Amino acid sequence: MKTKQSFLSRYKGILIFFAVMLLLPFVIGLFEGSNPLEVWNNQGRFSKYLEGIGIEIFILAIFALSYDLLFGITGLMSFGHTMFFAVAAYATGISLKTLGLPLWQVLLIIVGTSIVQALLFSIVLPRVKGVTFTMVTLGLASMFHIIVMSSDMIKLTGADVGLQGVPKPAFIDPSIERLRFYVVALLILVLVYIFYRRFIDSPTGRVSIAIRENESRAKMLGYNTTAFKVVVMLIASFTASIAGVLHTLYQPIVSPTIADLGYTVTGLLIVLIGGIATLSGSIVGAFVIKILDLGLRGIMKDSAPLVTGIVYVVFVLFVPYGIVGSLKLGGLRIKEGWQMLIERFGLKKLFEKKK
Amino acid sequence: MKKKLNLTGILLIAAFVVFLVLAGRGMPPRDLLITTLRGFSVGSVTFLVAAGFSLIFGLLDVLNLAQGTLYMIGAYVGWTVFVRPDTFVDVTPIILFLMAGFALNFLWDYLADKIKLDPQKKKILGWSMVVVAVALAAFILPRYPIAMWQLNNYAQSPISFSYMADQGIRLPVAPAQAKGIPPMLALYGGLAISALLAFGLALIRYKENRQHSLHWKKWQVFVILLLLGTLIMAFNTPLSNWLMDMNTNWLFIIAIVVSVLSVVGLGALMEKTMIQPLYSRPVYQLMLTLGLGTIGMQLVKAIWGMPEFVLPKPEFFRGAGAACPATSIKDIFTHNCSTIMILGGRVRVYDEIVLPIIGITVLILVWLLLKKTRIGMIIRAGVQDSNMVEALGINVRRVFTFVFALGAGLAALGGVLSAPSNGLSVAMGEKLLLNALIALAIGGLTSYPGAALGSLMVGLIQQFMIKYGQIGIPIPFTDIIFKPTPAIIPASTMLLMVIVLLILPNGLLGRQD
Repeated sequence: MKTKQSFLSRYKGILIFFAVMLLLPFVIGLFEGSNPLEVWNNQGRFSKYLEGIGIEIFILAIFALSYDLLFGITGLMSFGHTMFFAVAAYATGISLKTLGLPLWQVLLIIVGTSIVQALLFSIVLPRVKGVTFTMVTLGLASMFHIIVMSSDMIKLTGADVGLQGVPKPAFIDPSIERLRFYVVALLILVLVYIFYRRFIDSPTGRVSIAIRENESRAKMLGYNTTAFKVVVMLIASFTASIAGVLHTLYQPIVSPTIADLGYTVTGLLIVLIGGIATLSGSIVGAFVIKILDLGLRGIMKDSAPLVTGIVYVVFVLFVPYGIVGSLKLGGLRIKEGWQMLIERFGLKKLFEKKK
Repeated sequence: MKKKLNLTGILLIAAFVVFLVLAGRGMPPRDLLITTLRGFSVGSVTFLVAAGFSLIFGLLDVLNLAQGTLYMIGAYVGWTVFVRPDTFVDVTPIILFLMAGFALNFLWDYLADKIKLDPQKKKILGWSMVVVAVALAAFILPRYPIAMWQLNNYAQSPISFSYMADQGIRLPVAPAQAKGIPPMLALYGGLAISALLAFGLALIRYKENRQHSLHWKKWQVFVILLLLGTLIMAFNTPLSNWLMDMNTNWLFIIAIVVSVLSVVGLGALMEKTMIQPLYSRPVYQLMLTLGLGTIGMQLVKAIWGMPEFVLPKPEFFRGAGAACPATSIKDIFTHNCSTIMILGGRVRVYDEIVLPIIGITVLILVWLLLKKTRIGMIIRAGVQDSNMVEALGINVRRVFTFVFALGAGLAALGGVLSAPSNGLSVAMGEKLLLNALIALAIGGLTSYPGAALGSLMVGLIQQFMIKYGQIGIPIPFTDIIFKPTPAIIPASTMLLMVIVLLILPNGLLGRQD
């Protein structure tokens, strides 16, 4: 199908999302009784709190998008993905706090670190495949986690307490200019999403999908698959780094848990709940995870991770294509995932008769 | 298949040995020996987890990331049996009764065949039975009496019980109080739950044309479970007291057996219910085991609490007196010394001698199982090509379950054995899983001897790094002395893994294909 679509109709969904999220703080402000001008001047109460949650969701979504590109689209199962995020977060914090650099220089540094890291991961790429790649990336990321946590670096990283007291640039300080931060984070998310969509539709993106489906066949067709993987790695690394920068700028403390395997698993969970290789699933998943987390923390206190774990297992077993993926497969008839279980529990006939 | 020795692997091992020898120059033989023994000790615990991991990955192609959690559960179950035998005695009958219903599966299948209903209604009946069983469980199980520690009361917390047991004092514990319904009724309620559940599932999975027999031999398991459960319940208090006053050596052995058996059961259940449906989707298996690992960790946190505690050592390894530290092996047996003098250095008997011996024994036993028995032959064939084995008419699925349970059991053995020396904490599983993964990546993922070699290397490097942290490494051919800080210890094994994998993507002893 080669019909030419206009930009608007092509990215309808994400543009609607952008508009809704942009208006949301003002609408919430009206409900709590503060007029839009007050919200504009960051004087809202609940709307400001909600903006904060929104920022966290956007950061998670950017991170999950980059993981989806790497794992969902290209099929590289990396367990060290959080390293991109954490290195950028710490690099931003250290250069703002210890070195006292202005933000634009910090961003240049981040571009540098993200390229270096992507190349570091790429050295491994042609040599190891599948599970071994997973473990090498896990090893690299764990090494960074250990270095961050070590007591030798306490002056720079704050060891296990975390990096505190990072001076925030005044024009984007989340405690004063919360709305501006919110809009910036939202804008970055939307731009990343549109860029990723374009990337998937581009020839390079198509080859990436081919690599996931069958790497040897892609090779047979004459593509240098390693080069394509490196390109994907660079993009994913840079995107995750941007999320890391936003994380440091927003959070009061950069905790070392972001360098942990657990944070990669959070990314994986978001991608899985939203739908693997759907891109928009990452945004949906980030919303679900954050809201679930907030809700459960209120009700169950410490045992919230237990419920998150159960949700995770239920999704793996019963909704393997995630929310967006299942919708794309046609309503709630989730095809293979259910069928397998239905067969297992002997319900196949029951369903067939009903049709 | 003839194995070709790969030159690169040999060179790497040689380089490793040369490095150790050169770096060990500045060390007195006593330190060298103790550090090596400690390395062997850490290595054997890592090996117990890694061996199961490698067997499971080799045969089932499942990267079982829940292995660390199984290791942890093994340790915690062992602690419960050892420190709070009364809790263990309280919990056993209900678990036996919950199993008893499923032991009657042949009867349920027979009844499902005999009931005259059309298949669709049978399924609806089955599902409603399952729902009733769940509702019944929600009513009865919280009312089942269990005498347990309390997490928010320090005097009754696991830490206090550990400490008291370590001092040789048994705190008097109140027997479990009935909560609303008589204990025996609650127990038989458990049987009703499992019977309903099993019957419901039998109705749901019912297919026609099955051969049924109600031979008396099939009832054995059910009757044994029932009798055992009832007896334990009836003689609850004397049994608890008997276990409490028992010699701790025997209690420790009971703890090991119970924890291994329960985790073997858990592993088999996990494989049967959750991993088997996902054989067609490997990535999801990986994610599933990861999720199950997290759930297990949260459950352990909810039951045993966050703070760390230690499983006290049994009497045999606790002796301290005029005759200790022992100077000969005979002394260990006569005075039960906790340490022994070797080359003028004190070596802890349990940590540094018994653990490596057990590690090596298990290594040999599993090796014999793989090489000399029929099931071992099937496993080895399955690692090569499991589809072919299935084509030859062997029920590979059953072997899969066996191997998964075996791997889980080995992990639990490692957990309960390492608990007296390393302690119990919620993070213990994750830490060890990472070690085991590194060991396997170094040794080769599907290779059993590779698991042993990798674990040994990880253990030795960690312990030598700790030792060098105290005395400093004389860097070969220079006068510089380099002191690694504690942070570099885990990083050093990671670095070794990355280097090995870059040179040999399949590990030192992995298959080259």
